[in-house]
Amino acid sequence: MAQSTRRRFIRTVGATGALSGLGGLTASAQQGTTTIQWAGNPVDNQNVGAINQALHDAGLPDDIEISVIVTSNISDDVQQQYRQWLQAGRNQPDILRMDSGWTIPFIARGQIANLSQELSQSSLNRIENNNFTASVNTASAPNGDLYAVPYFTDLPTIQYRRDWVTNAGFDPDGENWATEPISWQRFSEVINQTQQQQNTQYGYSWQANAYEGLSCCTFNELMTTWGGAYFGGRDNLFGPIGERPITVNEQPVIQALRMGRTFINGQNDQFSLQGYQQISPQAVLQWTEGPSQSAFMNGNAVAMRWWPSGLYDAAQEYGNRLGVMPIPYGVRPNQAEYQGTGGTAAALGGWHLALNPNSQNRQAAVEVLNAVAKVPFREFTFRQLGYLPPDNTYLQTQRAQQIDIWGDYLETLRLAGETAIPRPVTVVWPDESSAIADRVNAVLAQQQPPQQAMSALQSTLQDIEGSV
Amino acid sequence: MSEYSVRRAIRYSASWTERLDEEQFAYLLILPAFLLVGAMAFWPLVRTFELSLHADNLFGGGYVGEFVGVENYVELLTGERDSILGNPFLSLSQPFSSAIIVTLIFTVVSVGFETIIGFGQALVLDQDFRGRRWVRVAIIIPWAVPIAIQGMIFYLLFQPGIGFGTSLMQDLGVFTATPLINSVDSMIILIVADIWKASAFMALLILAGLQSVDRTLYKVGRVSGASRWQMFWMITFPLVLPTLMVAMLFRTIQAMRVFGTVETITSCSTVPTLTCLVVDTFSSGRYGTSAAVAFITAVIVGLVATVYIVWFSDVS
Repeated sequence: MAQSTRRRFIRTVGATGALSGLGGLTASAQQGTTTIQWAGNPVDNQNVGAINQALHDAGLPDDIEISVIVTSNISDDVQQQYRQWLQAGRNQPDILRMDSGWTIPFIARGQIANLSQELSQSSLNRIENNNFTASVNTASAPNGDLYAVPYFTDLPTIQYRRDWVTNAGFDPDGENWATEPISWQRFSEVINQTQQQQNTQYGYSWQANAYEGLSCCTFNELMTTWGGAYFGGRDNLFGPIGERPITVNEQPVIQALRMGRTFINGQNDQFSLQGYQQISPQAVLQWTEGPSQSAFMNGNAVAMRWWPSGLYDAAQEYGNRLGVMPIPYGVRPNQAEYQGTGGTAAALGGWHLALNPNSQNRQAAVEVLNAVAKVPFREFTFRQLGYLPPDNTYLQTQRAQQIDIWGDYLETLRLAGETAIPRPVTVVWPDESSAIADRVNAVLAQQQPPQQAMSALQSTLQDIEGSV
Repeated sequence: MSEYSVRRAIRYSASWTERLDEEQFAYLLILPAFLLVGAMAFWPLVRTFELSLHADNLFGGGYVGEFVGVENYVELLTGERDSILGNPFLSLSQPFSSAIIVTLIFTVVSVGFETIIGFGQALVLDQDFRGRRWVRVAIIIPWAVPIAIQGMIFYLLFQPGIGFGTSLMQDLGVFTATPLINSVDSMIILIVADIWKASAFMALLILAGLQSVDRTLYKVGRVSGASRWQMFWMITFPLVLPTLMVAMLFRTIQAMRVFGTVETITSCSTVPTLTCLVVDTFSSGRYGTSAAVAFITAVIVGLVATVYIVWFSDVS
């Protein structure tokens, strides 16, 4: 018994020694590795191994790797979290995944690093020349310096039942709806007739609830397609606060509102637009993304306005019965007063990667960001993670167009990217956004007349701009 | 040496704690607990007040800007901050005063109904009948449901195309087609949701009060020829009143801080309560303004609680 115990002791000691030796070897092998902490979402976290491999394939040195810490799924919560971390001067996470809708306030407050002084010139050129202009603009300071690398983009399109529309006598392929935008008037006729023929519960499903999605996106693009703007055109989207014109009470914006009311209430509405059809239920006034998508995915709606992830889901559900088209136009670009408005327009969503200025691994983090901007990594995120790259040049390649499911709709998405309209994000946008959403929703719900509500909104926005 | 001199000699030779009289010594004993509670309860309030004396800082890296004294309060109360506080409820002209009125209406109506319904439920549960245990469970379940789930239940109930609530109420001619964006409809839905959940809480507290009533008093009442109503009004109600006041105090404080129910069922833009203003201004990075609204809210809640407690001591 004693012998047995002694033998066991010697075996244990031997095994422990061997393991310690191996552990020491591993530790010494890892001593030269720099790990960059990346604040991301659960998808990034689940795929951290593949992301590291893709970064190395894109040229990241082998002695640098990333680890992911998961932040909230709710964009506003992430923003608050970052604000607290950066105000506290934390040196980690090194890389921060930021919504393109709120990167600019962090730039304005000087809380993230200026990448124009950090990234290689080739990376800077690649980002500025190849990526969608709107994506780059939402990651840049007013002087043009780049503060974040666009990671992926979100661009809404109209997704519709091509089989139903064709049965109703229309020819989407022959008229090339996928890349040649149709007018809102024609769109309303198509949806109205198809709805009647198919006897579906709803025609066009969209998001008109009083929330950030209405001000940043749904109404922003609706108004832009009519040639309207919150602050007098694209040049003033990001400021200067208090010195830019406020143009929400101009005719294009009123027309967009009247059209929205007609879609929901038809010609019985006192402020309806002649020639436009009733195609949406009053329920859209309460719908955000979830319920509006359900209506289409359940087969209860002819068409919906949705983001790329919805397109992917719908394509999986409906296959070649699904049609995709850019957001229709109210007036043509040459009929619009402000440069960059009129014609089709898609509200810009998506996320950027920014560098924590307090990072103690600054150089290695910059290497990661250099690799992110390269084509092999863009292809990986598109193919493996389902993130639509903001890289317009890459999206035109054969390789991108061959990616399963996405390939069929890439031209429409590219057009949406080229005509994307960012939300006018400044430090006062949260206040302005809620004021806009409340007024627009109230007008669409027939609670306030368009002109009167927009005049009141103009006054409110003036007060907000004057409050800083 | 006289007895007095001996006692004095002992007292002077004792440690300083032993020289304290009983009342002073009692205060000394509770001082650590008092300091701890003070730190936990009052320090955040003091810090909030201190923050509220600073300007919003939207451009700089810090939380708040320069010291501005009571400017935030003055601008809130005079309506100069209206543009950043969102839409007032209905036609009430100023968002801040509107939020006070909305919060008070919500509190008075919901707590009033909860008290009546809770009292009724407690009287039923106080009876001895078959299946009483199951009835208790049924009454308690809504209280056990988390606020987020409660919110989703009512949100889905009044979401067109999903729940049946909207069409049902519309058929009855009560609601509009989109009740969750209509302020009046939403307010009614919120009050009903709150009553659904919180009546059980009232019922449980009142039941505890009912069960502590000396049953022999009813026998005396019956012998004296008192009717059921007289026994309720002369025996049950006065004896349960202290418990009822405590329950109402708890519920009133909770109702005045309402936020989760509002945000999940409708939204703060449809029914803006005081807490909604705190959260909205905080979310937009206006920490000074947010702190000022939070401090005023705390003061209002504190005043209401004080009134209750003073009234409660009279009742006791």
